[in-house]
Amino acid sequence: MKRFINHEELARDSRFVRQDSAMVTILAQVPDDVDTLVELLDKLTPMIEKSVQGTEAAPLFEAYGPAFMLVTLNEPLNPDDPALDSRLRQRFHGIFAGELQALEGAGRSLWDFPDAPWEFKMNMARQCWDETRHVQIFEKLLDHVGGWVGMYPESSFLFECACSDDPAMRVAGVNRGLEGLACDVFRDMIRYAEKVGDEKMRQAIDYVLADELTHVRFGSDWVREFTKDDPEYLERTQEFRRSVDKQFSLGGARSNREDAAIPIAWEDRKDAGFTEEELQELVELSGGGPSRETMREAARILLERHRARSQEAGA
Amino acid sequence: MSEAIRMYPGAGPDERTTFDAYSAFDVPADLRELHGRYDVETTARRVRNFRYAHEWMMMIGGGWVATIPELPVKTGLGKIVWDDAQSADQLGRRLPELRCGKRSVTTSEAANEGFAALVQEVAEPESPDLTIEKITGMFDVLKPHLLAVYDRMGRETDQISDAPTIEILDDVVRRTRKHIAWGDEVLGRLCDTEARRERRGKRAQEMRTKLEACGGVTGTITDESFGAH
Repeated sequence: MKRFINHEELARDSRFVRQDSAMVTILAQVPDDVDTLVELLDKLTPMIEKSVQGTEAAPLFEAYGPAFMLVTLNEPLNPDDPALDSRLRQRFHGIFAGELQALEGAGRSLWDFPDAPWEFKMNMARQCWDETRHVQIFEKLLDHVGGWVGMYPESSFLFECACSDDPAMRVAGVNRGLEGLACDVFRDMIRYAEKVGDEKMRQAIDYVLADELTHVRFGSDWVREFTKDDPEYLERTQEFRRSVDKQFSLGGARSNREDAAIPIAWEDRKDAGFTEEELQELVELSGGGPSRETMREAARILLERHRARSQEAGA
Repeated sequence: MSEAIRMYPGAGPDERTTFDAYSAFDVPADLRELHGRYDVETTARRVRNFRYAHEWMMMIGGGWVATIPELPVKTGLGKIVWDDAQSADQLGRRLPELRCGKRSVTTSEAANEGFAALVQEVAEPESPDLTIEKITGMFDVLKPHLLAVYDRMGRETDQISDAPTIEILDDVVRRTRKHIAWGDEVLGRLCDTEARRERRGKRAQEMRTKLEACGGVTGTITDESFGAH
């Protein structure tokens, strides 16, 4: 078995549909400008249309257009929202896929770095079991909200962005970037579960969040250990983590902005070992990108263009 | 005020206590006998060999998780990876107690080059359509062999002097039995045609032949059980 695999090599059963992660990359780079966002996403329309075929995302594509993710996934969960069920299922499906990739990332860290210290291997092995339980938990929560595995396409951008071939960068990307994002998402989900009085959901995700704090601590400890006595290596690792955090901010959907769908879980992240300085940095780098209004407007224009093209094709 | 009861006897006859020579430990009598098949050095070497197997099974399982498409097999392996890590960790912690030095806790040692090569052969299947070959090598051949060796060592080592090793092996055996049962169930489901059952049988036979050729986990083929499954 070779070491270091590409995200496209992640093995899936026939229920899964793979989606290109280009949109996430674009969201990490575009300014708060409707025209720029529209032009960039318009080029992706054929690819997005193809990836949703045969999944529950196809009706969303028809209803909201090629940028349906901007107006479904990146909106806050509101119990009064008529589209709540769809948003919930998309979010749980996305989390389920994220946990699967986190399991694969932790497992590959054992295989890819055979000469790593024993304690590192123990931490990664423990994380494998934890992520396994998370996959099982979110498969059940997906069912709890009326969803099923494979109902939406899976983007492997979490594995793609976080799984560096360098051990310090791997733990910085997976354990601090990916697991840090998980802290934000899970705190937001717990708030939602409390709001609607869903105790099953609240308790299960609270346990998952507790695990994630441990995983972030693994990351903090091993970045320090792998880069000790080498400030230049530490800086490169921190730079990698910043780029991962930027990608995982989904254009500001995860940030401390007022219009953010997922606020940064400040206290949880502090418990997990993030410093105030790192959190301030995260606030700054995640706060850029298109606002929710920009995303909505871009989505509206893209929907109009898509409908015009469909009509033309029909005529 | 009564005279204080003497707790510990002195040398003179009048200093003996009045307590009978009887304790819970004598009922029933300890039937275990001293002397086992392995001395301290041999046990230490064997523990390093066992640790080698579990450390590699942990790493291989971790690598396979991403290459296996069947979701329950992926998640099942995730737990087994942690179990093998715990087994390797427990075995390592025994080493300093067997006069191997403080740093020996993370020492693994293949019995010979043949066993090291066999472990790499177990790890070899990579493609997502090779789940049968992956699971067969580890769960039909390697783990049953380890189970047989541990079971026998637990019976043949000094039951009193080497009891800490027996306790660790008891834990490892308990986990390994679960893993073998899991692997058997997975393979039972996956091998649902004659052609797939043949793949399982062929892979198992190949791996067993190599395992026997290298003398198994301890390299001592003549006196180890190979635990045919």
